[in-house]
Formats: sequence, C-alpha cells, structure tokens
Amino acid sequence: MGVYIYGVAGASPRIPAGLRGVGKPPAALRRVVANRVTAVVSAAPDHLRAYRRDLQAHQNVLMAFADQGPVLPMRFGVVVADEDAVRARLEEGGKEYEAALDRVADRVEMNVKVSAAEGDLAEIVQQDPRVQQLRHQARRRPGYEINLRLGEAIATAIGRRAAQAAAQVSAVLTPLADDVRKGPEVTGCVLNMSFLIRADAVEQFRAETGRLANRHMAHAVLQLTGPLPCYSFAVAVVPEPV
Amino acid sequence: MTVITDEVVCAPRAGTLYDVLDLILDRGIVIDAFVRVSLVGIEILKIDARIVVASVDTYLRFAEACNRLDLEHDASSRTVPELFGGASSGAAKSAGKAGAKKAARSVGKKAKEVLGVDGDDEDDGKRSSHRRSGSRAGSSRARSGRRTEED
Repeated sequence: MGVYIYGVAGASPRIPAGLRGVGKPPAALRRVVANRVTAVVSAAPDHLRAYRRDLQAHQNVLMAFADQGPVLPMRFGVVVADEDAVRARLEEGGKEYEAALDRVADRVEMNVKVSAAEGDLAEIVQQDPRVQQLRHQARRRPGYEINLRLGEAIATAIGRRAAQAAAQVSAVLTPLADDVRKGPEVTGCVLNMSFLIRADAVEQFRAETGRLANRHMAHAVLQLTGPLPCYSFAVAVVPEPV
Repeated sequence: MTVITDEVVCAPRAGTLYDVLDLILDRGIVIDAFVRVSLVGIEILKIDARIVVASVDTYLRFAEACNRLDLEHDASSRTVPELFGGASSGAAKSAGKAGAKKAARSVGKKAKEVLGVDGDDEDDGKRSSHRRSGSRAGSSRARSGRRTEED
C-alpha cells in the first residue's frame, strides 16, 4: 500500500466530482494540505505498474487539477509511505513549491514531435548527388549490396531533411514560449520538444505549428499535443535533506 | 480539457496517450525521499508500456475510422450474392450490413472501455510484464487478450 502522489497544487484545490485515480477499482482522490500547497493523492494500488488505465488516470487527474490552477505533475509512479510523510515533505519545501507553481501559473505545456516524412522520392534523387550516383550504379549493376547502400543513402537524406525542418520548427516556435525543454529521446522522432506557453497564447502557438506542419509537409511530420500539465517544467525543487 | 486526444488539431496525426508517454514516464517531479515504487520495474516496463499503449492507440484509430465509415450508403459494400443476382440477394445484403454495423459498434464500445474510467485493461499490463518480443507480438497479444463479449 502507501500513498500515490499525482502532483502538487496550490492552496486547497477542489476535487472534481467523479474524478478517480489509479488502481482497480479506481481509487478515491484525497488532498494533503500543508500551508499553501496541496498534494493530490490516493491510495496506491498494490501492484503498481505502467498499466494503460493507470497512465491515463494519472494524466486525467493532472488535467482536471490543471483546469483549476497551477499544478506540478509528479512523474508516474511516485508512492510515499503515508500522508504524514507527504505533509512533512510539503512543509519542508513549501517555498520552493510555491515558486515552482508560480512559474507554471497560467501556462500549459505544448509538446511538439517531429519525425521524418518520406516525401517525394524523386525529389531526393534530384537533389542528393550521392543518391543519384548510387542509383546510377544500382541500375548499371543491380545487386543486393548496391541496393543496400542506395537505400541507406536515401534514409540518410530523409533524416537530414527532417532534421533541417526540425531546426526551423524549433527556431520559429521557441520565441513564442516562456521556456523550452527537450523531451526524452523517442524512437523515430528527430525532435521532441516541450514549450511552456501562456494559456492565452495557445491558439497562436497551435496556428503557428499548423503553418509549420504545412510548410514542411514534404520533409517532416509534426505532431502537436497539448495543452498538457507542465510535466517538463515542474523541476525538482526541493533540496535533498542532508 | 478532458482527454488529451481531444486537444490535438495539428495535421496530419493526432496526439494520443502514446504520444505523451515519454512525458508521463520521464518528466514531472521525482523527489528521492518519495520512494518511486518499483522504480526498476517501471523503467523496464516503459518499453512494454509503449508497445501496449501504441497497439491500443492504433486500434482506437482504426475503430474511429471504422465508425466514421458510412456503410449504409457505400455502393462498394455489395455482397457477393447481390453481385450474382438471385432471389436471396436482398436478404444476404442486409445481413452483411447488419453484421458490419454490429462489428463497428462493438469496436467502438471496446474503445470506450479502454479509454473510460472503468476501462478494464489490467490484463494489458499483466501481459506486458512478460513481453519482450517486439511490437508485432505485442499487438497480436493485446488483440487476443481484449474482451470479446458482444452487446
């Protein structure tokens, strides 16, 4: 058992009716209040794993609380012994939590992932001298090895074009954000970046990302997810006890 | 702002749970004094979670596309007996359509179960604990393990 923590919010957020947490059956949510910060918690399931259902519950709880005010999301899977331990931690780090909450107040996380688009093969052949050369060779003397090298050169060209597009996407979107964090490496993505965006600028950000998606359609696939709770901008604020 | 999949507009792909797994599992606060339960397990499971969640999201996309299909007015959905003519063609045609509609409905229902608060996908996680064989195996197992009861 133990206490599962979803995140840390400001003073006394309300628990939305019907909202439930992780576990099966989904656990009832509780608040642990210390001064001006509140941890949103529930009973921890006995066998906590990265179930889809629980991942979604974690996300839903954070989304619901983010609707009411700033929230610092915990990473999925943080469990503490009991509520007293949570309270002690909140009291210890109260100021830091408040400062971190201020940083994400009225802001959301927008995540942009860019992956390569295969695009027009003919264009790659025309524009890439190495692909051109290998293609000639492959036509003159067909064979497994030359096909492999040709295919590799095409893959490299596709990746390079996507990386160029990603650099431009990042350059255009970054000035719109209050803060920017690189996301974890994700297979297939040439760019995984999260942007801290003022809630009132989300539509502008979305529109700009849409324009970029169209502009780079031939070379890159853009994917925008958000508004999200500020996973990437909730930094570990509390110094470890000595 | 309820489910992330509702929030995504940018063409051509929409974001799903899978698309923010990296953030849910790798970002957010971790405070060492808070014991992150089965830390090792979750690190390993991340890979499995990606596979399982990816499979389910793919199914959900299929289901969504399937539900959008207008089977009633699709001329290409004529059944074989109808194409060959014959007295029984009318009955065969409507039976075929009813079957297709029922299938589409049940896929949609399963999609809701998976997404909903009462989603019954614990077996996804259980299967994932002993899955290491790549996404294809993951997909087929996720499919075979899904509840199959009809209405």
